[in-house]
Amino acid sequence: MSPIQCAQFERILEEQPDGPLPAPAAAHVNGCTDCRLLWSDLEAIRTAGMEWGSEEVAPPEHLWISLRVEMESEGLIQRRPAQAGWWATWFGTAPRWALAGASISLLLIAAMLATYQTTAPAGKDFRVASLLPAHLSVPGATEKLIAADLGETLDGDLKRVFASLPERNPLLASSLRENLGIVDNLIAVCEKSVRERPNDKMTRDYLYGAYQQKAVLLATAMDRSASEGQ
Amino acid sequence: MKNGVISGWSQGAGTVLIALTLTCSAGAQTRRFERHFNVQGKPVITVQNATGRIQVRAWDKSEVMVSGQKASASVEVDTEQVGNRIEIATHVVSENASPDALRADYEISVPTESELQVRSDSGNVTVDSVHGDMSFDTVAADLSLQDVEGYLMIKSIGGSTVCTRCAGRLDATSISGNFQLLQPSMENVRVQTSSGNILFDGGFMNRGIYVLKNYSGTIEVRFSSNDSFDVRATSLYGHVVNQAPVVPDRHKMPPQTPANGLAQSLFGSMNDGRAKVELSSFSGTIKISKRE
Repeated sequence: MSPIQCAQFERILEEQPDGPLPAPAAAHVNGCTDCRLLWSDLEAIRTAGMEWGSEEVAPPEHLWISLRVEMESEGLIQRRPAQAGWWATWFGTAPRWALAGASISLLLIAAMLATYQTTAPAGKDFRVASLLPAHLSVPGATEKLIAADLGETLDGDLKRVFASLPERNPLLASSLRENLGIVDNLIAVCEKSVRERPNDKMTRDYLYGAYQQKAVLLATAMDRSASEGQ
Repeated sequence: MKNGVISGWSQGAGTVLIALTLTCSAGAQTRRFERHFNVQGKPVITVQNATGRIQVRAWDKSEVMVSGQKASASVEVDTEQVGNRIEIATHVVSENASPDALRADYEISVPTESELQVRSDSGNVTVDSVHGDMSFDTVAADLSLQDVEGYLMIKSIGGSTVCTRCAGRLDATSISGNFQLLQPSMENVRVQTSSGNILFDGGFMNRGIYVLKNYSGTIEVRFSSNDSFDVRATSLYGHVVNQAPVVPDRHKMPPQTPANGLAQSLFGSMNDGRAKVELSSFSGTIKISKRE
């Protein structure tokens, strides 16, 4: 059994995303922290997806269509010439596993923003999960996934995406980081304000706006990472 | 003898100097580029350049001319024409190049009636006298638009925008960029920035809609005594400073009163209230100032 490198591991994941890992890949994942994190992220997504699907809470078709139209109109995604599957169409011809979690986060945030209603519960313990509209009942595991903090997941994804930005453009990376700091600060201020005045619609709107900006930032970083990496 | 040595040395130095000059000149020649594309009607020009200056200006020829200079051989300029669509892109060909070597500067001349799609990370983008829909997607690049007309869409992360005598419609968002709209003739303006400032210095058109929003920073609109608009201005944790002689809203639009007792708000009409102006900030200052 010859040892494999990270790039080979990612290729194996691309070629056979489901099912058990081949022996060389399993050996690699045991010894490589980055790949183990990637693998565990994918496992979590796969598990959540299966549980979501098993309880038949598939959102209506129009939600995906409107989501996609919304994301296209916002410039969050761009159509590419059809080559492989939907993934390649949305995120480029060479799917980057480093972006997988980020893409899922983006979809979750987009879903949250697209379906947000002003009747969101005004709990004392303000969490992103409580922002989901009541009609979108989610099973326990999925709720756990979202509640276990979309914000933290997003931070992790941003970190990973930022790490994948090309070193040859330091101005790009520093600008994105600087603006991430600004948005994080806004989110913190808005969250504090929402906790203090949970019934103030305008304050909540500002918080949603701040999250939306973070999603835009993530989308931009993903876009630049993918296009400059080609 | 000594003179002979000096003379020989100076001749050698001269030869080296000439050779160096020729080499540099040849390098500069290979780094300069110029391409021409004949077009008919209204072309669509797409520019993707990560680092460097992009200058677009209108001329009265049915031709698109792309010229400029790249900093090194580590980048290539690709151009493609498909009918009336022209795509211009800078590609990195050497992974190990320094950031400065990846710069490309463009000067692009286009027919007045042209559509533009520009993507840039850092560097300045200027557009002069082009009439047509335009979209800009930038990270740190500053944007300067002058005498342009059309539907303008701007998405920036940290870059600032100055729009002078722009006409048409504007949708613009940024995180930390500033926006200055000077002498605009725009019917529909939506600008949002998080920590940047927004300045709108121009007339409000009848039936025009102007929505300006930020989190912190200053939003300033300047009016003249002939302007006719309804205004709603709210700063949740900041201030609203008003010089406009507004009267209670003529159109009885229900105000969105914030529950926050600290918020400062202003609702009212000036003259007949023909345009609609919505200004909102989380903690910034909103100024409604009389134009000098």
